[in-house]
Amino acid sequence: MGDFLQYTVIGLTVGSFYALVALGYTIVYGIIRLINFAQGDLSMVGAFLGWTLLVSFGFEHLPIYLALVIAFVVPMIGTAVVNLGILQFAYKPLLRRSLLAILITALGMSLLLQNSAELIWGAAIEAYPPNLLPSSGFFVGPVHVTYVQIALVVASLLLMGGLVAFIQGTTIGTAMRALAVDHDAARLMGINVDAVIRIAFVLGAMLAAASGVMLGIYYVQIHFTMGFLLGLRAFTAAVLGGIGNIPGAMAGGMLIGLLEAYTTGYLSGTWEDVVVFGVLITVLIVKPTGLFGERVAERM
Amino acid sequence: MIAQLTERPVGRVYATVRDRLGRTPYWSRVVVSLVAIGVAVIFWNDDYVTAVAVSVATYAMLGLGLNIVVGYAGLLDLGYAAFFAIGAYTSALLMTQAHWNFFTTLPFAVLFTGTAGAILGYPTLRLRSDYLAIVTLGFGEMTRITFNNWEYAGGPNGVLGIPWPNFFGYELNTQADFFIVGLFLLAIAMIFAEHLDHSRLGRGWVAIREDEFAAESVGVPSLRLKLFAYVMGGMWGGLAGAFFATRIGAIDPTSFTFQLSVLILIVIVLGGTGSLPGVLLGALVVVALPELLRELSDVRLLVFAILLVGMMLLRPQGLWPRIRRKPKPFYGLQEEEPEDVAARILREHQVQMEERDRRHAAAGHKVPAAGEILLEVDGLVQQFGGLRAVDNVSFSVRRGEIFSIIGPNGGGKTTLFNCITGVQRPKRGRVLFDGRSIVGLRPHVIVSRGIGRTFQGIRLFKNMAVFENVMVGLYPRHRTMTWQAMLHTPGERKDELRTLQESRRWLSFVGLESMAGQLASQLSYADQRRVEIARALAAHPHLVLFDEPAAGMNPTEKLELVGIIRKIRDLGITVVLIEHDMSLVMRVSGRIAVLDHGILIALGKPAEIQNDPAVIEAYLGREDDDMGRLTAQEA
Amino acid sequence: MALLEVRDLHVYYGNIEALKGISLSANPGQIVAILGGNGAGKTTTLRTISGLLRPRSGSVMCAGKSLVGVDAHVIVGMGVSHVPEGRRIFNILNVEENLNLGGYLIRAQHQLIKERKAAVFGLFPRLAERRGQLAGTLSGGEQQMLAIGRALMSDPKVLMLDEPSLGLAPMLAKSVLKTVREIADRGAAVLLVEQNARQALAIADHAYVIEVGRIVLEGNAAVLAKDERVQKAYLGGFESVGSA
Repeated sequence: MGDFLQYTVIGLTVGSFYALVALGYTIVYGIIRLINFAQGDLSMVGAFLGWTLLVSFGFEHLPIYLALVIAFVVPMIGTAVVNLGILQFAYKPLLRRSLLAILITALGMSLLLQNSAELIWGAAIEAYPPNLLPSSGFFVGPVHVTYVQIALVVASLLLMGGLVAFIQGTTIGTAMRALAVDHDAARLMGINVDAVIRIAFVLGAMLAAASGVMLGIYYVQIHFTMGFLLGLRAFTAAVLGGIGNIPGAMAGGMLIGLLEAYTTGYLSGTWEDVVVFGVLITVLIVKPTGLFGERVAERM
Repeated sequence: MIAQLTERPVGRVYATVRDRLGRTPYWSRVVVSLVAIGVAVIFWNDDYVTAVAVSVATYAMLGLGLNIVVGYAGLLDLGYAAFFAIGAYTSALLMTQAHWNFFTTLPFAVLFTGTAGAILGYPTLRLRSDYLAIVTLGFGEMTRITFNNWEYAGGPNGVLGIPWPNFFGYELNTQADFFIVGLFLLAIAMIFAEHLDHSRLGRGWVAIREDEFAAESVGVPSLRLKLFAYVMGGMWGGLAGAFFATRIGAIDPTSFTFQLSVLILIVIVLGGTGSLPGVLLGALVVVALPELLRELSDVRLLVFAILLVGMMLLRPQGLWPRIRRKPKPFYGLQEEEPEDVAARILREHQVQMEERDRRHAAAGHKVPAAGEILLEVDGLVQQFGGLRAVDNVSFSVRRGEIFSIIGPNGGGKTTLFNCITGVQRPKRGRVLFDGRSIVGLRPHVIVSRGIGRTFQGIRLFKNMAVFENVMVGLYPRHRTMTWQAMLHTPGERKDELRTLQESRRWLSFVGLESMAGQLASQLSYADQRRVEIARALAAHPHLVLFDEPAAGMNPTEKLELVGIIRKIRDLGITVVLIEHDMSLVMRVSGRIAVLDHGILIALGKPAEIQNDPAVIEAYLGREDDDMGRLTAQEA
Repeated sequence: MALLEVRDLHVYYGNIEALKGISLSANPGQIVAILGGNGAGKTTTLRTISGLLRPRSGSVMCAGKSLVGVDAHVIVGMGVSHVPEGRRIFNILNVEENLNLGGYLIRAQHQLIKERKAAVFGLFPRLAERRGQLAGTLSGGEQQMLAIGRALMSDPKVLMLDEPSLGLAPMLAKSVLKTVREIADRGAAVLLVEQNARQALAIADHAYVIEVGRIVLEGNAAVLAKDERVQKAYLGGFESVGSA
């Protein structure tokens, strides 16, 4: 029982990272039916930008709150710019072409980000400052919870809450949901569809970057290939929750995090991806609209 | 016509030369060119060059396999390395554990990977294509991780000490030996791939890639063909894997990463998806480019990523695209006089009809004679949410008549067609064709029962030539098996020739023989409609359903269409028409049904319909709709 | 010059000419009906005016400004609102959210949004009762009201309606059309595409009959209502096989 709860804590922590990336997939896919393969790699870019600021620029020596704000905000903005560039340069010319062409391009963009990152930051594993946040923790019964875990989960929840408030509470957010139904009708409301798509790409990138920095803080080590598996797991989460469905993506992220933690805990770390992919394939075959139903635009 | 005139003479000469070359058997061209390459490389006598050439051959084999899945069938497979791995491990384990000879392991490697393709393919066939890409990616990773965790296969260390192949006592152990074996296997892979490309299977795959829904609706069993694509693609990967294992001598899971899957994808995207010479070129670039740019080896993948995106944006057809346009598609076929063509079509059609009627009667069913009921729709209901698109509609169509369905927009006409052709399953009601229920059958099965159709918005296979479009329509009538197609057996050749001849006749039937070699998308709107009609007729249906065939046609074209419809009826084919052009409908129809709000409001001869108050009301509104002329003052 | 002025509009789908020189005009307070059989080009005309399609040639002017080449979402801001065929409401959003999107361009002016919503609810009290309900769960008539109300949120000078009575029971269709008359009387120019010619002519001031991309008849609605040629346009027309 103690083990189980311990794994649950770990799973929820990691799951919140996946949820953030999954939200990026889900928002973009919901609007333009594009699997932005680069989503996981955007997370990696965010992690490296944060690392550059903290370690290379030495911001880790600033007061902790200031350091954290810089380490989150700047990578989020930088990654958003990268994602906008990808949209404008690679996806936009292809949106009305065949699905195959867009998928291959998205894959190409993922590779491009990975290998550009390798070129810029090198192929070595880099390390976040290990004691940026106090590594201590406390026990709840037999379960050990660290302050880092609490801080990161709270931060993710805040980001997700902000996103939900934006999507549910503002007219632009409403417009984003409307795009999942009907692009032409949205145009007839005076909605600048291209601008809303850009907003979705910015939001997706910012969430991914935040999760990247969190991963850096949590696992300490980062590598230019880290986005690949992260992206796959997050995509699985998005599909599990029903693509286009925002609460679904969050729940899906948590589920994948838990699944991974239990697999690692009870079985072996070497099997975790087999289990995750097994779940993905099973969900897609048994219930392709996900556990919570999907909300997706018709293909334009 | 215009396109041909404006083509530059150089292009024309080139096309003619290519055409001539295209008439020598493909296997001879492959053998000649590969022998030439082989001789050149061996005389170069440089182990390094030979080794690179062996790698090119391996990648080319992989590319040929992936090309079947991605290039032909249009299914993005991001886990293709899994097949390579399964082939390599099968062969390696059989050689090291069971001490088999390399060549005897080959069939098993191919068999295992084919099976793996079926296992992956079967449950995932109905997925939409972007999800499919992710599932294949997951499959690739799962396979690699499974090998990594599998003790018997050496776990992370893999299989070591794989022996050299032994060919009747001669041990193949130099780069040159491997090169020869590699070329030999590549030649087989290429010849088979080319034969498939030019068989009904290849056309079916491309049709699915172009428009799966239309393919299914003209008789291509899309699910089965997609499964086939996976199986075939897997087999090529298995062959390459086995070759790779024996050549390297030791394999481990790191040889089969996602990166490899992506590299193979790059091979076919660079060369041009669907193009066989393109695959060779792509393999050459992917293998040789990094060798040439040694100092840039760090950014090898970056360069490929840029190439991949750049190709998609700037030259999506690839460096050496597959050209489906053909200047003289019927070259070498026996010429036929136009009157002869009509007579042959009629004779062939009668033979087909009689044959079908005979089979039908032999199976214990009643065969409707001319004027008897062929299609019976009884109490059909189709509902979307709260809206009844088709509401308790009953009517029957008699064999040999021209029957029209008209009605205001949103009346439920196309929904009715979709229910008859199996695209949708009606909520309630019966549809009997030839006395047998066809509700719940898949569209391609209904086609083979003898119902053809065209679509409201034209749905041709745009990037296929016109004659190929019609040949796809002949899919249900082929009798040859896949292995015959792969070997290009005399029986298959005869079947292909017959199909080509028939597609030519049908095109001449609708007056488009001269356009046969062009891409479908190059034709004018009216001509595309006619190709669609020819495609629907090619399977010799009993009944054809035309959905707004005259839409967008000018008066002259409409007049020609009336002629074609009558010619079809004269063949003995029953025609059901949805059409908005009332004069056309009134001219050709024997009887007319009117649907409004999903309800059948009238059924009768044209003159009756034109004067039916209910019909006038449906189109114009009711007399008392004048609402006492509301005016600004009143409101 | 009229408020909305369309001159010699030619529109192509690929290489098919869908509109072969359509000209029409509409003035404030006026309902202009566009009639014709299926596939005549009525919807294409509206889609071109609202910027969803680009004409190959011809001009569209609203209040003296050209709409040709202007993006659809900008045209809404210029005072032209289009209620598309089949209503196309956002079915996963609730009634109020749908209306809010109708006022997307004035989203920062909360007071104005409130007033306009109140006006729409005044016109369609049923919508007020169902403001929190998902639009997809409304009945067909309510969905049509919502589609019209949503278009009114931008307070258009020109309101274009594509088959507002499609799929509605006759009584409901009549009441929707009466509301359309009311909207025009408040000063908007209304362009009404209708299948139901008699009802449309009953409330319209002026009408055009389109066939195969061309205007074949034009005139005062009351006069056209008695013209037999209108019936012919629906059940066997002028330019077709018969006369070719």
